[in-house]
Amino acid sequence: MDNKDKLAEIKEKKKEWEEKVLLPAAKRFGIEKKPTEFHTPLDIADFDFVRDVGFPGQYPFTTATYPVSLVPSIERGAKPGGLRRAGTYSGYGTPEDTRDYYKQMAKLSWTGGPNLALDLPTQCGYDSDNEMVEGEIGKVGVAIDTLRDFEVIFEAFTGDQDVDRIATNITINAAANILVAMYIALAEKRGIPMAKLRCTPQNDILKEFVSRGTYIFPPRPSMRMFRDSVVFFTENLPGINITSIGGYHIREGGSTREQELAFSMAIGIAYLQEGVNAGVDIDAFTPKFTFNAFGGSMQFFKEIAFQRAARRMWAKILKERFGAKKKDSMRIRCPITAHVGCSSTTKQRALNNLSRSVVGAIAGVLSGGPPYAFPPYDEPLGLGWSLEARQLAEDATRIIMYETGMCDVIDPLAGSYYVESLTNEIEDAAWKEIEKVESMGGAVTAIENGYMQREVAKSAAERQARIERREELVVGVNCFTEEYELDVTTSKIIEHPYSEEKRYDAEKQQKANLAEVKRTRNNREVTRLLGELESAAKKEDKNLMPLFIDLAREYATLQEQCDVLRGVFGEWQLDTFV
Amino acid sequence: MDNKDKLAEIKEKKKEWNEKVLLPAAKRFGIEKRPTKFHTPLDIADFDFERDVGFPGQYPFTPSSYPISLVPRIEKGAKPGGLRRAGTYSGYGTPENTRDYYKLMAKLRYTGGPNLALDLPTQCGYDSDNEMVEGGIGKVGVAVDTFRDVEVIFEAFTGDQDLDKIATNMTINAPANILVAMYIVLAEKRGISLAKLKGTPQNDILKEFISRGTYIFPPKPSMRMFRDSVVFFTENLPALNINGFGGAHIREGGATREQELAFTMANGIAYLQEGINAGLDIDAFAPRFSFVGFGGSMEFFKEIAFHRASRCMWAKITKERFGAKSPESMRIRSPYTASSGISATTKQRALNNLTRSVIGAVAGVLSGGAPMAFPPYDEPLGLGWSLEARQLAEDATRILMYETGMCDVIDPLAGSYYMESLTNEIEDAAWKELEKVEGMGGSVAAIENGYMQRSIAKSAAERQSRIEKREDLIVGVNCFTEEYELDVTTSKIIEHPYSEDKRYDAEKQQKATLAEVKRTRNNREVTRLLGELESAAKKEDKNLMPLFIDLAREYATLQEQCDVLRGVFGEWQMDSFV
Amino acid sequence: MEKERKIKVLIAKPGLDGHDRGAKVLSFGLRDQGMEVIYTGRRQSVQQIVNSALQEDVDVVGLSILSGAHLTFFPKVVDLLRENGAEDMLVIGGGIIPENHIPILKEKGVTEIFGPGTMIKDIGDFIRKNVRKIA
Repeated sequence: MDNKDKLAEIKEKKKEWEEKVLLPAAKRFGIEKKPTEFHTPLDIADFDFVRDVGFPGQYPFTTATYPVSLVPSIERGAKPGGLRRAGTYSGYGTPEDTRDYYKQMAKLSWTGGPNLALDLPTQCGYDSDNEMVEGEIGKVGVAIDTLRDFEVIFEAFTGDQDVDRIATNITINAAANILVAMYIALAEKRGIPMAKLRCTPQNDILKEFVSRGTYIFPPRPSMRMFRDSVVFFTENLPGINITSIGGYHIREGGSTREQELAFSMAIGIAYLQEGVNAGVDIDAFTPKFTFNAFGGSMQFFKEIAFQRAARRMWAKILKERFGAKKKDSMRIRCPITAHVGCSSTTKQRALNNLSRSVVGAIAGVLSGGPPYAFPPYDEPLGLGWSLEARQLAEDATRIIMYETGMCDVIDPLAGSYYVESLTNEIEDAAWKEIEKVESMGGAVTAIENGYMQREVAKSAAERQARIERREELVVGVNCFTEEYELDVTTSKIIEHPYSEEKRYDAEKQQKANLAEVKRTRNNREVTRLLGELESAAKKEDKNLMPLFIDLAREYATLQEQCDVLRGVFGEWQLDTFV
Repeated sequence: MDNKDKLAEIKEKKKEWNEKVLLPAAKRFGIEKRPTKFHTPLDIADFDFERDVGFPGQYPFTPSSYPISLVPRIEKGAKPGGLRRAGTYSGYGTPENTRDYYKLMAKLRYTGGPNLALDLPTQCGYDSDNEMVEGGIGKVGVAVDTFRDVEVIFEAFTGDQDLDKIATNMTINAPANILVAMYIVLAEKRGISLAKLKGTPQNDILKEFISRGTYIFPPKPSMRMFRDSVVFFTENLPALNINGFGGAHIREGGATREQELAFTMANGIAYLQEGINAGLDIDAFAPRFSFVGFGGSMEFFKEIAFHRASRCMWAKITKERFGAKSPESMRIRSPYTASSGISATTKQRALNNLTRSVIGAVAGVLSGGAPMAFPPYDEPLGLGWSLEARQLAEDATRILMYETGMCDVIDPLAGSYYMESLTNEIEDAAWKELEKVEGMGGSVAAIENGYMQRSIAKSAAERQSRIEKREDLIVGVNCFTEEYELDVTTSKIIEHPYSEDKRYDAEKQQKATLAEVKRTRNNREVTRLLGELESAAKKEDKNLMPLFIDLAREYATLQEQCDVLRGVFGEWQMDSFV
Repeated sequence: MEKERKIKVLIAKPGLDGHDRGAKVLSFGLRDQGMEVIYTGRRQSVQQIVNSALQEDVDVVGLSILSGAHLTFFPKVVDLLRENGAEDMLVIGGGIIPENHIPILKEKGVTEIFGPGTMIKDIGDFIRKNVRKIA
């Protein structure tokens, strides 16, 4: 019997089953309008294994980016600290506070490079002595004003953890090139050539306009800065990632799954095009594109299918649209696959967030990555992650890695009628949305005209409305909220390394630090270089990276440089679309 | 292209991928001996959707026992207490303690019938005044000596929770009929007809010989008792389940997945055969067989495949071997599907057990059931489940039910190359082992000769040795045990309803209660009836249920009745096979 | 009969925090409940927020912050409103705010704090109950 006859037969039997078995049961339980779904070969009638799934680490990358599981073997992973990385997003108060934090974590066997969280003034290009940003210094990350601050932070990283041995992540977008320049200057001072640096600046400015909000300049000059990254990094920094693109923030901002996928792919296309326009070969720079995270919700299977669809789409874009030939250009390099995201956590009965992040970590494995129970359960409590919460998250990750056998198999859902059809469905919807964005002129235009921002806000409002109507349920928030439910909390064992008093003093301290730098540096040289920066900025084809490095060396502040650029590029204002 | 050509093409491509992509990567990570697995259509070359999967709630039941999800709609489920059931395995100290416990839980909106845990003396047919069992009274459950104790416990269940409204579970095996007789008399006294009684005595004596250990009589007379259940229940108690049998205890006893499946199926066959031998129609009694739980381990996918395999096997056994015609006879009715199991919990960093039970609950959904995060995390701490631990488990279950969308689809893994091949693999291995048992003459013989007991003891020893060699990993037990790991605990919010002092007094209290019963009952009538029991027991074809009912009415004790039967049937002694 | 005018709400994001999902969702939601809502957009200084509030003569000022700078910004807004004679404007706040900061903020004149998971319906009810008399 050939495939067609088989399907016809299954169709026949399915009809019979629906009438005789499914519907009577569904009626009895009052769900005849929406009976439980069951998927059969009929849902993937056009399915072709080689075309739609393929093999791990090979085009179209549906199953996984790599051919082997990235879970470290226990011999590596279970050695003390083997799975602990300083790399948890962190940065506190002053550079001194952050340095001390990393030193203390090192004692708890956390190793590897930092994943630096910067405070909002830094992310938005303001210095700590700016009155306008009072109250925000050192709040959501560490304050960086000048190279001096990098020097202090990285006192925690020397010897076998020196900057040529570790990989540093910096969550910086609008001012990414300026911060990378400081990192280069730091290495220089330590006698380490920039070619040896490994680092990932987030450098994904377009999504800041769509959702996260730490933009400085308007989209077009921002893209020129990005072009400078592509060109300069490709030539001089082979070990550095150019960007870490992500849809995660767009989703957290409220977008639907399909919007996120479409917008982040459209953004990716815009970045790729910058490189191509600058005359760089696609296979020379795309392998240095990374991704920080996609997605994030409690919708288990949809998140899994989403990751499969995302990998397949990116591969198609690179191969078919940009003519990439290298496999490394086509794959989504990302430390995280599916997960629940921060917006799935609840303040109500917060320890339940552990259960949520476990669900997300399982989805992570099933979607082709290592598990990652994230975020720590106390994320929505606003006190910073306690070490207790981190321990639970970390142990959860380890349990999934080493107790469940889940990570022995890649893409265990390949072939599943449900997951294959869901993957197609999500991909199709995302392509449609991309076409819409492309017809407007691509991501930059769709940001300038406010389309993406409006769509995301609309989706966020719709989701909230569904929650209020209890069409979407959140345990402890809109259901199971009776007074006899218990809010279970954990006992405090250990103080967070970044204490309350430090928190209190940080702003004053950092202002003093900055004043001291400004007093002792060569101010004339700074002024001269800022003048040079201004004239260079006015020439569209000029790459500003070398000047940023010169300015870093002279301890020019972040804001001094950004102010010059603000003068030339203008500032982005438009952000109310309500 | 027909299927055969397709497979040939995939085979070709796989070979190429293996050589060019997989092996180089595996070598780089040092896992070339055991590279991450990936499954393709080649792994299920002979697959036939209708034969191997079929539709939910229909032969061969691979996707699930029912055509729709059993998760209650939120309108039902989220009403106060809607998902809370008194039904959590519970029973404490004296009948009074247990009654008070259920009354208190009712105030916290736990409704529905009890799932009674009995103390070991009760389970083994001894009374509370027996010196031999001193120290064990009321310890792992409530003590039940006479009908009076059942009367007291059920004072917590009246009105809209009366016996005709609730379903009662009793974890009782060897003297199951005696306890059911007491329950019948209670209904009688309340004027409720037997036909209305709902509930499940565990009544699965064979697995007690293999693993759990609360046997009294040897296997053959035990099976005669079971025959009495089948015959009497079928005729008089149409709504009562005959047994709640399962493999979970066999697995907890150390069996491998395949052993558990084979032995449980063999036990099931033996039980079915008793009914047939007694002249009953298979479709008249097999629908009243229920299952308490299979499996339980952290091996996520294997547990899922195991459930798909077990449903399919049971359906084949009832249909093909016993000629059942009603689908009700063929389906595994069980409240649980996959779970992580009690033996997967750790005392070390016990809160991690929440993570483990969430993993098990996800597996539960993916294996065709409703999620159930079980057990509460403090299970291995030996203090009884705290209300905090229960809250977390319950919320985790609710999160899976209502936040993840997981329960909208039945058997989402159907068609997956990995899952379908794993299901086949487990089923094949179990059939082989089952054949071996059948070759010995079936379950009873394989217990009498010690084969099953020996097999699982060996498996348990092997597992332990794998743990000690760190081939099987357990987080916090044989890996990640450094001194800087934190043992996170929860804060106590509410006292457990069964307090320490009650625990202390229970034994004395229950002895006094029993003495009082013995003083006030009609001792002459008890003695007469016990004499009748003895002569009836000697006649193999006599059904003892009516006599147990008479004896319950007269407050004969459990041990008095068991002692008479011990005299006739003998006692089972053999239990060392190491 | 004089038609009652709509309750007028200013939703503002003080400081540099760009997480505006909550602010926007609240703006949409309160508008759906029949209020007139003005959303300032991101990166508003305290002075800008107060100016907008006074200019538009709003009844309610809703402040949203997820960056931890609430102890600085919220009281400043309240103080500056009072200095300008707008003490009858209802000031409420939302975002990621630790429990132990809530009493401090209330003491400084923020009437209520709404954390994650709050229903917009409840915020609307709160506003209607506590807002100044609408002329």
